[in-house]
Amino acid sequence: MTELQILDAETSVALEDIVAASGLAREEVIELVEYGVFQPMGAGHAKRFAAYSIVAARRAARLRADFDLDAAAIALALAYLERIEALERRVRELECLVLRDV
Amino acid sequence: MKYKDYYAILEVERNASEADIKKAYRRLARKYHPDVSKEKNAEERFKEVGEAYETLKDAEKRSAYDQLGRFRPGEDFRPPPDWGTRFGGGSAGGFDNFVDLGELFANLSQGGFGRSFRPGRPGGGTSGGFAKPGEDYEVNAHISLEEAARGTELALDVSVPERDASGRLRRVQKTLRVRVPRGASDGQRLRVPGKGGPGVSGGPPGDLYLDITLKPHPLYRVSDHDLYLELPVAPWEAVRGAEVEVPTLDGKVRVSVKPGSRAGQKLRLSGKGLPRPHGGGAKAGDLYCVLQIVTPTVLSDREKTLYEELAKISRFDPRGHFG
Repeated sequence: MTELQILDAETSVALEDIVAASGLAREEVIELVEYGVFQPMGAGHAKRFAAYSIVAARRAARLRADFDLDAAAIALALAYLERIEALERRVRELECLVLRDV
Repeated sequence: MKYKDYYAILEVERNASEADIKKAYRRLARKYHPDVSKEKNAEERFKEVGEAYETLKDAEKRSAYDQLGRFRPGEDFRPPPDWGTRFGGGSAGGFDNFVDLGELFANLSQGGFGRSFRPGRPGGGTSGGFAKPGEDYEVNAHISLEEAARGTELALDVSVPERDASGRLRRVQKTLRVRVPRGASDGQRLRVPGKGGPGVSGGPPGDLYLDITLKPHPLYRVSDHDLYLELPVAPWEAVRGAEVEVPTLDGKVRVSVKPGSRAGQKLRLSGKGLPRPHGGGAKAGDLYCVLQIVTPTVLSDREKTLYEELAKISRFDPRGHFG
């Protein structure tokens, strides 16, 4: 029975899971690891990454397919996309504090 | 089948180098990608450009495309008589099985050139024994705050991509049943392995990716696992302080508004936000009550008199800092 995975920063996945879920080649994933795209988790011999990395990897695959970007450009684009997401989260938080007109 | 001039679509010459074609694609992809394009019909153009690039970037496919001959865009055409034997297997090969040029060339990629179609069996496609994994489904689920808090079973009517027996990609209507665990929050992504589209020729099924969006709630606003609730108080409650009741996800709670409270101040109810899915750490987010001071607009005569007296005797100057 396959289990549902929450793709957040708290669960961890193996490199192979990232490869399988993204459709990227193993070498491509390793290259993106070297560019710091995926957040490693925990110490130990077998490298594990935050489950959110699967989201990043699938985005990377789409960027490659849509824009024909190389690994360095993909890593850069992903960094900007993450920054945009963080800003959107912050905006949503701040909107919570804006008092509505009664 | 209608002809498409892939060179014209990529705005390159027919003898363009691989480098030129790559450069042209990158420029046009940037121009028409729906995420960043300002052009009208961007999505349609992007698809067109992508299809042209898929065929022309591969030397073998490009050669096969060139051998189709030259026709006017949109013109109905047939390939030269021996095209099928050289590139598709069988007489016209799989040519007659496709209505779209793009699909024809996309299917030529599976299992290698010339091996996609079994000789003598028109349109063998991927049933030539090349197992392919099923398509991934990417689905958005809109759920209420209460459903997110306790977890819920969903029946989602979706349109998803699926490969038919000959490997062609189609969109089909389906109803998916998914269990969303308690503690999911707005913007959370879930993955259910194996619950995507069925594989082809014994390939494994794809996965289901679920994006959770919370429906707007009449009372609470959501930020990650925290909830924000506007708490209106009367002017005298803010001045004198008050014990008030606020609704939470699991019943009403009494909170103390301190004397001298100001609008915008937050009262934190620890653990009264959305539950978190994992065991360790904080079990739930918090509920923040944000004070809002509301003034009555309909006043009795006595109230008006009292307010006027208050205005006369009070030495409170809210604009003292204006100078």
